[in-house]
Amino acid sequence: MTKRRKWTAIPGLIALATAAILLSAYSGASSSQGSQPQQPINFPHTVHVQRLGMNCLYCHYTANKSPDPGLPAVSTCMGCHLIIGPTLNPAPGVRTAPYKSPELEKLVNYYKGGAGKPVPWVRIHKVPEYVHFPHMRHVNAGVTCQTCHGKIQEMPQVYQYSSLNMGWCVSCHVNGYSPQEGEVAAGYARGDSGVVTPAGAPQQPAAATSANAQLQPSSSTIAVGRQPAKNAAGRSIARYDCANCHY
Amino acid sequence: MPDADNSKTGGPTVRRREFLKVVGASGAAAATVGCTSEKVGKLIPYLVSPDETVPGVSTYYATTCRECSAACGAIAETRDGRAIKLEGNPEHPLNRGALCARGQAALQGLYNPDRFRGPMIKQNGTWKTALWEDAINVAAEGITRARAAAANAVFINQHESGSFPVFLDQWLAAYGMRPHLSVDLDADHAAIEANRRAYGVAWPRLNFADAKLIVSFGADFLDGWGASVAQQLDFADARAKLENGPRFVYIGPRRSLTGLNADQWIPCAPGAELAIANFLSGRGAAPARDQTGVDPAVLDQLRTELTTAKPSLVLSGVTTDNAGEVAAAVAALNQSLGNVGTTIRNAEPITAFDGMSSPAELFDTVERMRAGQVPIVFVRGVNPAYALPKSLNFAEAFAKVPFKVSFSSYPDETTELCDVILPDLHALESWGDAQPVRGTIALQQPTMDPVFANVRASADVLIALAKKDPAAAGRLTMKDYRTWLSGRFPGGDRGLTAALPHGLSAGTIAPRTAPTPTAAPRRVPALTSTSGDYTLVVYPSPTLGGNGANKPWLLELPDPVTKVTWGSWVEIHPETATRLGIDRGDIVELRAGNATVRAPAVPYLGVRPDVVAIATGYGHRAAATLPKFDAKSTTNPIQWGYGRYARNLGVNALDLLPPGTGSTGEFPLTVTKVSLTRVGDHITIPSTEGSARQHGRGIAQAINADDLARGLREGGEHETRPVGDASHEYLPGLRSPVAADAQGVLGAPSEPDQGKNKGLYDPNHPTRMASRRWAMAIDLSRCTGCSACVTACYAENNIPTVGAPWQNATLFATETPGFNITRGREMSWLRIERYFEGADEGRFGEEFETRFVPMLCQHCGNAPCEPVCPVYATYHAPDGLNVQVYNRCVGTRYCSNNCPYKVRYFNWFGYGEPDRKQYAFPEPLNWQLNPDVTVRGKGVMEKCTFCVQRIREAENRAALEHRELAPDEFTTACGAACPSRAIIFGDAADPQWTVAKLAQDRRAYHVFEELNTYTAVVYLKKVNHPTSAAAPAAPATPR
Repeated sequence: MTKRRKWTAIPGLIALATAAILLSAYSGASSSQGSQPQQPINFPHTVHVQRLGMNCLYCHYTANKSPDPGLPAVSTCMGCHLIIGPTLNPAPGVRTAPYKSPELEKLVNYYKGGAGKPVPWVRIHKVPEYVHFPHMRHVNAGVTCQTCHGKIQEMPQVYQYSSLNMGWCVSCHVNGYSPQEGEVAAGYARGDSGVVTPAGAPQQPAAATSANAQLQPSSSTIAVGRQPAKNAAGRSIARYDCANCHY
Repeated sequence: MPDADNSKTGGPTVRRREFLKVVGASGAAAATVGCTSEKVGKLIPYLVSPDETVPGVSTYYATTCRECSAACGAIAETRDGRAIKLEGNPEHPLNRGALCARGQAALQGLYNPDRFRGPMIKQNGTWKTALWEDAINVAAEGITRARAAAANAVFINQHESGSFPVFLDQWLAAYGMRPHLSVDLDADHAAIEANRRAYGVAWPRLNFADAKLIVSFGADFLDGWGASVAQQLDFADARAKLENGPRFVYIGPRRSLTGLNADQWIPCAPGAELAIANFLSGRGAAPARDQTGVDPAVLDQLRTELTTAKPSLVLSGVTTDNAGEVAAAVAALNQSLGNVGTTIRNAEPITAFDGMSSPAELFDTVERMRAGQVPIVFVRGVNPAYALPKSLNFAEAFAKVPFKVSFSSYPDETTELCDVILPDLHALESWGDAQPVRGTIALQQPTMDPVFANVRASADVLIALAKKDPAAAGRLTMKDYRTWLSGRFPGGDRGLTAALPHGLSAGTIAPRTAPTPTAAPRRVPALTSTSGDYTLVVYPSPTLGGNGANKPWLLELPDPVTKVTWGSWVEIHPETATRLGIDRGDIVELRAGNATVRAPAVPYLGVRPDVVAIATGYGHRAAATLPKFDAKSTTNPIQWGYGRYARNLGVNALDLLPPGTGSTGEFPLTVTKVSLTRVGDHITIPSTEGSARQHGRGIAQAINADDLARGLREGGEHETRPVGDASHEYLPGLRSPVAADAQGVLGAPSEPDQGKNKGLYDPNHPTRMASRRWAMAIDLSRCTGCSACVTACYAENNIPTVGAPWQNATLFATETPGFNITRGREMSWLRIERYFEGADEGRFGEEFETRFVPMLCQHCGNAPCEPVCPVYATYHAPDGLNVQVYNRCVGTRYCSNNCPYKVRYFNWFGYGEPDRKQYAFPEPLNWQLNPDVTVRGKGVMEKCTFCVQRIREAENRAALEHRELAPDEFTTACGAACPSRAIIFGDAADPQWTVAKLAQDRRAYHVFEELNTYTAVVYLKKVNHPTSAAAPAAPATPR
């Protein structure tokens, strides 16, 4: 009698263990961190950001004023690429003769003088629909783009750098963030440029002349008023209440 | 209030704002709720970026609401090129920022899934989709054929103020056709006619706040009679006067929503209003009881009161066949009482009803059709085949017309009988203007690109038609309607563009020269001459109006009086019900002559025992036989009968009426007697009402004005807290116990808790989140129960409607409309509870009082729902919100069981999942979904969030501007919509916010305060104004 009872517990335990494994696989390890999909146009952030020093906000034009970072309209691309057409001049050390860029050909074919179709970019970074992530709050708090997205300027093909899991979000909200770390994450030589100093204490950008400084949204015009929340160690912290993001 | 933004739609077309929707904000993607492993989609950018929108940030356009004739101002919130919310324009002289439920639901007209996608032509009795070119050719040929008898052509247009009627008459004149009929069958033409004769204007501004006594003869000024939002704003201001506020007496056989707001109801017999009005004017002795059904002493007292209370305000809105006489008598009464100029401001008229055609002309036109005199008919925005009595046999007369053109957007009854459909754009997609009051022009501008690209504005179609005709083309040379519109606007195109940001401009639109009415009234038989035991009172539904039945928000919105949804019902007095053995839900048959109507009975205290009442708005039918609507199919035929939601829902009360008009050409509704028999069937009424009585629970509390005033005069601790008042111990700051505990307010922390990290709940936490306590004050003396807030909440928070027949359970599906409602599955985060006080035995003649309570999540500081949640899906946020985290919820429903207010709602089905038949937002209704609010999935609990998305948006905006939130900077959707200004939201912990002041009001109380829930919603008691003798005093102790 007692033996039989022991045995009957085993299927239940197995079921529980299976459920636990499945659940953990479903929830914990569900991040698409590292995914690097093929894009319809092989857009090189390396050329635009690292070599030409373009500001992130030139294309992602609403990252500092909207929850949505903004995706450049094809017409924005064509603003430059009407002049820099598919036929490119020789690049020093790369090519010796003028050459055709197949990627720019694709762009022109999408645009078709304003009568074409938008480029169907493949989405890489996505939080679920029940998460409300306001880009502008983070950008204006001095969080560098690279803190979350990695050194995009060094990525020939963009991939998901962070896990975007909730624990990853909350750790920063609780433990705090320092602009210096963000600058290091962004690829500064030193973490003291001051360019990304958050609101309340505007400073003169010490390293504004460096090419990397242009990667950052300028916050030097921010007026003094509302003090950002800082913990005892002087690190910027933020709310981590559920209803801050989930509603 | 968001600032109106200049649309800069500038040029003649709106192509500049042509959008290609951004990213995965599509409704389909928004509706999926899952984990992070969900499929990653595409990011589609604009091809050419529009320069006035920011993705993810709303743009606001000022425009004009066209849901009724009043022409209130609206602000359309658009996100990524789609209108997602309507609110009132705060600068508009009529609605001053408020918007009624019907106005809110304009969005469901815009995104209605049954709208015509393009023009159609009827060939050999079947409808074929057509190209615009072909459809216009067909229509032009029809006009050419009618050329010989062009003078007899008929254009029936919905009544609207502004330039379009002028344009239309010009167009008709170019063909030699007579001016159009400007039809609004919902308007009270008898009152308009009497106003014109007595005051010189069609509709004066009614000044309730200055009146000492308001007497209404069936004038339902809160239900849609006249400019009801403007009237409700004024009325609520009057009722909010704690001293010298007006007493309100309602006279009529049925107590409507307006009547329920009255302090005294004089239930006179139908048709006896004239005798009473004449008596109040001072002619003779009080009429006897057998003449009026009213105790003469009551009338004597009212006359005495009228002579002393000056100024007063007397209104007539009766719908019997002698309505014209009553309206004239009431106008004379107002003149003799000296009310004209004081409470009846005829110098500041509401001009929206100017130029309306008399219903007699429409009846006359139908007879001309029947006689075969009419060669061609155009119908735009009117549905006479539905809105005229069946006995008139409109369809038969209409069939005699050789060629019929419809401009309707929806597959309604009249359109089904036409020959060609040239679908019109919705008002939110097209240009227009209106003259709401003298001296002010209100603009109507496209708030987005057309939902269906192949639909065109009627005005532009008319221009295209004229170009096909050499004679007409020469007289209509404008390029398009907007060019013509700006040409006659003060300041031309530049003036128009400058006026767009506010949607308003000073100026006057030259009105059309309406033809002198020639049609003689076709009198209906006198009420006394018809036979039957009960007089039938037919009234326009306050929630549906004439055109609301195709909008699920309005069908799901409970009738404010009976709380019935999704279908018709017959109101009978409980005494009648007892006598005939009729239970609530028994199907009864009403018979007038050969006409019958069957609907479930609802016993209601507010009708006379010799009266039965039934609302219009339901009972749409298709002429064709259609297969049952299949929610999961994409190949459903055209949903004739006014769309999938309206067809076969309820009954049309107009089926019982005789054809004809009253003496001033108005369309009378209370003109027949009926017999009432029980059929034997029974249904469960889809009603959201639990109990009509409070059973001593003190949910809706009230205080007599005298008691309140005495407290004021005598002062003192005791007197300022009238009996039944809340103890104010919990009120100051409305600080939540959680925060108060953390702050040591509830006593020093116990030893083990000292020095413990309280996180965000610590008031000294750098984010200072615990320093706020979001709270709401609801003034019950202002609330009229109109339910605009409910629809505003549906619109803002993506609340699904659940009552459509196909939204029932999959197994054992009985396709009954409102089935889910009968099971209590409605999702209305905010509901209006309606309680009766008095007449406990349900006897006629006993005065009863009605109290309306908006009931929503109380955001308790000590919430019973929180500790029972096994997964912490609901918890108390540091800023005072009771939060529901959808992605944590596993659907145990323990929280709902433990909620004393029953304000939590469970997703029994996948209302937000497109592949289910319960899907509440069929394309393109899902375009309206608010991107800031999660669409909830099956098995998730949800409830009022205090519009947390608006709180976060305001906080984000303030943070970006490096400032703190300003007091009263924003409000919730319900508070913004409320036409009574009864709902005030804000931070109760900051004394600068209005809500913090109201929380200290002498009338403040919490519902179920004895449960120690420390709610964040503060109710202010209703104030009653009983007469000293006629009405029994309201119960002194409301509990």
